[in-house]
Amino acid sequence: MTTYIARRLVLLPLVAFGVTILIFALLQFLAPEMRASVFITNPNQLSAIDAIIRKYGLDQPVYVQYWTWLREVFSGNLGWSQTARMSVSDAIGAFFPATLELTMYAFIPIMIIGVWLGTSAAVHRDELIDHVSRVFSISFRSLPSFVWGLLILMVLYGRLNWFPPGRLSLEADLFVRSGEFHRYTNVMTLDALLNGQGWIFLDALRHLAGPVLTLTIVSIALLVRITRSAMLEVLRQDYVRTARAKGLDEPVVINRHARKNALIPVITLGSLTFVGLVGGVVITETIFNFPGIGRWGAFAAQQLDIPGVTGFAMFTAILTVAGNLMADILYAYFDPRIRLQ
Amino acid sequence: MNFRRKLLTLLVFALAVSLAGVTAAQGQAVKNQDTFIYAAFGEAETMDPHYAYDDASHQVTLWHVYETLVFFNGSSTGQFVPMLSTTVPSVQNGGLSRDGKTYTFRIRSGVKFHDGTAMTAEDVKYSLLRFMFMDRDGGPSWIFLQPILGVDVTRDDKGTLNTALFTEADRAIRVQGDTVTITLKSPFAPFMGIVAQWSSVVSKKWAIAQGDWNGTAATLRRLNNPTKPDDTPFFSKGNGTGPFRLVEWDRGTRQTILERNTGYWRAPAKLRRVIIRGVDDFGARRLMLQQGDADAISVNRNELPQVEGLPGVRIVDDLSTLSNVGVFMTLKIDTTGGNPDVGSGRLDGNGIPGDFFADVNVRRGIAQALDYNTMLRDCYRNKGFVGRGPIPRGMLGHNTNQRWYEFNRERATAAFREARGGQIWNTGFKFTILHNAGNTVRECVARVLKSGIESLNPKFQVDVRSITWATYLAQYRQSKLPLFIIGWGADYPDAENFVAAYQHSKGTYSGAQGYNNPEADKLIEQVRNETDPAKRRAMFYKLGEIAYNDVITINIDAVGLRVMRSWVRGWYHNPAFLHQYNFYPMSKQ
Repeated sequence: MTTYIARRLVLLPLVAFGVTILIFALLQFLAPEMRASVFITNPNQLSAIDAIIRKYGLDQPVYVQYWTWLREVFSGNLGWSQTARMSVSDAIGAFFPATLELTMYAFIPIMIIGVWLGTSAAVHRDELIDHVSRVFSISFRSLPSFVWGLLILMVLYGRLNWFPPGRLSLEADLFVRSGEFHRYTNVMTLDALLNGQGWIFLDALRHLAGPVLTLTIVSIALLVRITRSAMLEVLRQDYVRTARAKGLDEPVVINRHARKNALIPVITLGSLTFVGLVGGVVITETIFNFPGIGRWGAFAAQQLDIPGVTGFAMFTAILTVAGNLMADILYAYFDPRIRLQ
Repeated sequence: MNFRRKLLTLLVFALAVSLAGVTAAQGQAVKNQDTFIYAAFGEAETMDPHYAYDDASHQVTLWHVYETLVFFNGSSTGQFVPMLSTTVPSVQNGGLSRDGKTYTFRIRSGVKFHDGTAMTAEDVKYSLLRFMFMDRDGGPSWIFLQPILGVDVTRDDKGTLNTALFTEADRAIRVQGDTVTITLKSPFAPFMGIVAQWSSVVSKKWAIAQGDWNGTAATLRRLNNPTKPDDTPFFSKGNGTGPFRLVEWDRGTRQTILERNTGYWRAPAKLRRVIIRGVDDFGARRLMLQQGDADAISVNRNELPQVEGLPGVRIVDDLSTLSNVGVFMTLKIDTTGGNPDVGSGRLDGNGIPGDFFADVNVRRGIAQALDYNTMLRDCYRNKGFVGRGPIPRGMLGHNTNQRWYEFNRERATAAFREARGGQIWNTGFKFTILHNAGNTVRECVARVLKSGIESLNPKFQVDVRSITWATYLAQYRQSKLPLFIIGWGADYPDAENFVAAYQHSKGTYSGAQGYNNPEADKLIEQVRNETDPAKRRAMFYKLGEIAYNDVITINIDAVGLRVMRSWVRGWYHNPAFLHQYNFYPMSKQ
């Protein structure tokens, strides 16, 4: 397994740079004036288009631009993101903790509720819980995330004032900026606990609730269906029948013998869900004004902020490879028949 | 009834009561009494007042963190009051020389920067020179470079800095005791408006201590044309004389925090704190306003119906603005290398040639094919006016009696029949009207115009296409835009800024349209140097008549609006504020 992991880790930087080459290749399709649009943002600056193109070498051949960028990367500089108003590395450091926090609080309920509901639906096939889970799955999946997000925002914030957008309330935000609060990780709930400020922890949770609920609703449906299908397949197996015939309690049959073997497709979907969350969920972050990496990445792409897009793409490529590696390790753990070659 | 059913009933009942509208927000007491929160689309580019050329940056810095030598008098854009200068220079008070070229500002004493150090005339000179010689590509330095040195840029075509200009500028801006004298190349009527908007004063000592330019020619290259916004120490830090000090610009959470300057030279601001938040989604902004978590939000015209009727919300509409929208016709379109927006590129019924709009009869036909009333009603919800040329309403030079075209099918038809000896009428044409993507108002204008043109002759085909800003730049530079709709916001509150952009052969728009009218050029150059308002007005009126005769552009004057909570006090409008709020006199009650 160690060799396998090491081999996969070696691939990481190669994948990351492969992504950057792809992005720069795509640049071929963009005229220099289009790439200047991130610097020229209003009509009063139109007369400076030529000067901007010259200044940033936007009309240089793409291999020259790539080499210039690569040289900077090797000296530790990922470039300046015009859309983030800071360097690319600072932008990742600023936005990623928010997305990580959102992922932590969304992924756990998605997995727990999804697996539990899917298992229950399979075990109690064609009973009430199976029908209810199916209705919820179809309903939740039918509406896109932005509709759910807006509904949750309008009802739970607009009507009930329960879950406001943003990351913290005004009072909490001002306290966090004061000298009395130390930011260790920029994961607000964690920092609040480390600072012993329970009220900030609760405040941060309150602001997380809206986007977490949105992400859970949207992501859980598929997990429930996959888990149900996988469980049904496993419950049909001879060894499960044998376990029951031996007189084992039903919970033991389900939890110890059946569920573990049904987890392979669940792990696949779970890892994809995790990577999708941690790479940033643009729509949810935008609707709830949650300052995550997804919102920035999408905005950078929209504004043709090439250093921003490149940095974001490299980062998510690394996360994707790492996520897939975790999935592979979990496969081997849950299914001894799988050996990592 | 078992426990689960009781619990479910209780939950449903609680939800129903909540959803019945018993919310805390409506009719609520003032929230966050001493803090004003403005939720706006977009974000500042920099906190450096000499680098910034965008509204979002100015919203934070201008007149809040930094102050200018003079300021606008109330809601007027043409009358000024002293700010960091103790007088507004005029010929009457001896502050302006009779030839209109030399302005003398007596600098106020007892004014301190936020770090507690005293502001002096040297700081004013340093600030003006810094503004001029930062001169980044696409920046605002030309606004002072032009009147003081007669140039738009401090570098040659190869990008080499012309240090001789610094020597000239150093002589043109002189400090004598507590006065600063600025001598212009030629009289320039808009100069006081420029000073009111662009002469932000920074601390020379503080700047140098932060590693910024030291004020000499020797280190000018370090200042000139920075590559990135954060190449200057003022990028994320501030030290001005304004009623608010910059506490933090948090780009991670897209918030800027200002706090009351307790050492301010006038009465301290009523607000203790101002927070400007970047909130891109209108739904979130609207709800923040409704709940009182924002005291004001940015609202586009098409979003207005969603805030009308919200309890506790005040909408101020019909605000005059220093901006307008233009429907531009390009007289020399580049049809080479394929241009999908001109069809075949020939006058064969499936396209237009590059000089299609060079025929004034075509332009007059277009101007009379636009149903103005329908456009104003459907696109602007009757909150707009047909422009009488490029100068917006309310500005000196706007002529409300200037004739303009009206929607008239017969006259439009006659104009098209006249064009190219009838060839256009008989052959027909096809082209595309372009507008910037996401702007539903301009899309609406395009469709009304399309409808009007196509109604004249079944051989007339017009498409409407939205393009991104990036695509617009590419098309603009390559002169491939046949007919496009875009706006202009004033750099300073003078009509000269509009006629230069719209009618000069080197203007931002008219130059790109391929327009060249020597009479217009001459008038614009004259109106820059003429200081007599009556003479200027006459020149602007002549330019208005030229705009009518040549009709290269159809203008629409929109009105602005502001949306805020009704507990906001002290707000007032000045068109020079553009999209900004002036927080100093504001409070919440």
